[in-house]
Amino acid sequence: MTDLIRRAQAGDEEAFHDLYREHVGRIYALCLRLTGRRDEAEERVQDVFVRVWRKLGSFRGESAFSTWLHRLAVNVVLSERRGALRRRLRVESVPDPAALERPGRASTAGLGLDLERAIAALPDGAREVFVLYDVEGYTHAEIARHCGVAEGTSKAQLFRARRLLREMLGR
Amino acid sequence: MTDHERDEFGDLLRDVERLPKSIEPPRDLWPGIAARLATAGPRRAWRSLAWVPALAAAAGLVLLLVGRARGPGLEASALAGRPQARGAAITRPTTLVAGDALSTDDSSRAHLRLSIGDMDVEPGTRLRVLAMRRHEQRFALERGAITARVSAPPRVFVVETPSAVATDLGCAYTLAVDSAGNGLLRVTAGIVEFGSPGRVAFVPLGAAVPTYAGRGPGVPYVNDAGLALRRALERLDATPGDRVALTAALAAARADDGLSLWHLVSRVDAAARGAVFDRLAQLVPPPADVTRDGILGLDREMLDTWWQYLPRTVWRQGL
Repeated sequence: MTDLIRRAQAGDEEAFHDLYREHVGRIYALCLRLTGRRDEAEERVQDVFVRVWRKLGSFRGESAFSTWLHRLAVNVVLSERRGALRRRLRVESVPDPAALERPGRASTAGLGLDLERAIAALPDGAREVFVLYDVEGYTHAEIARHCGVAEGTSKAQLFRARRLLREMLGR
Repeated sequence: MTDHERDEFGDLLRDVERLPKSIEPPRDLWPGIAARLATAGPRRAWRSLAWVPALAAAAGLVLLLVGRARGPGLEASALAGRPQARGAAITRPTTLVAGDALSTDDSSRAHLRLSIGDMDVEPGTRLRVLAMRRHEQRFALERGAITARVSAPPRVFVVETPSAVATDLGCAYTLAVDSAGNGLLRVTAGIVEFGSPGRVAFVPLGAAVPTYAGRGPGVPYVNDAGLALRRALERLDATPGDRVALTAALAAARADDGLSLWHLVSRVDAAARGAVFDRLAQLVPPPADVTRDGILGLDREMLDTWWQYLPRTVWRQGL
């Protein structure tokens, strides 16, 4: 376990900020691909690091920190997406919302490559399985546990995702 | 990969392998994380405000890191009438420093420009400047009303009232109190921590909380909470053990009133907590890692997690 992690575990926010800087790119890429939305990915990255701060004391160094962080990030993103189905958003009117808070954006601008855009356009279930299996290297058994589906469902979603991507990319 | 998969999806999977493993976010996400670290996590001691100085220090660090502060400064100007500062009417922009007081009569209003935002001072207000430092801009609202809009790391902007202290966590709000300390805080952006020793309310946008002389903040409620719920909460604010009021509050609450019930969990005594949990769980089902026993034991992490599931208010352009 590195000194940085030990200091962060002891409550050193500066050390935790350094950990954030070291890993944020990897976690943002994961969140962006899993959600397909830049605004949502930004929110999830923040959720992930807040959760890491809470859970850091339970990290014992039995796996690489990056592995532990990655698993936690997948859990946060998938839990949030399941939770979002149960929640509804309260909406209120205000004359000048720009003066209050930055509105959410549904744009996928910034995703860049055609493949990234195509992944973002996949249906939620298919995208999650594709990202976890083909991009991140999870097994179907692991995906089934994370997503709360049967392994067969994971395999079917993967096939569907690949087919859709191939069609979207004109191959 | 099977031969069939290689044949059918080979090109696609080769492209996937070339995707970058790391993508830098388009904006700095750390300030938002730092704000939440201040209000979440096992290192927090919610029952006292003893952690505020440490968090203010952390906020100061963030301030330096993100480089958002232009340096402390406070300039007062008149919006209407003749507001007073340093014993004279404000007739042109005037710099105020710690120790100065600003007052408005029934027909005057003032505007304060800070390095981290701005503030309108409404008629009939007396406001003192307690500290004007880079990491702490602290005021005492002795009576009257202010509307503040702040863009700063959490816990930099603080307003004391006779009955509670409003600590900005990145927000805009209106705060009105009388000289005894009775008043109302209404939040229009972000979130405000409103606390007195032993009693803290977290008030997000679209919600308000009363405060009472000698008791501190009551239970927050969303702006469109029904009258029956508000009346019941007022009675509970005065007498947390009022079982009739609690029954009325639980019956009147909707899912949108989860904010109020979430606060009630830790305001009522242990014997009544189960009923609050059951009603809140019915309206806003808790995630799997939030248990009844944990909430009844006021497990801070579980309460924080459940908070994330409360219905949220967002703003849209009015017609």
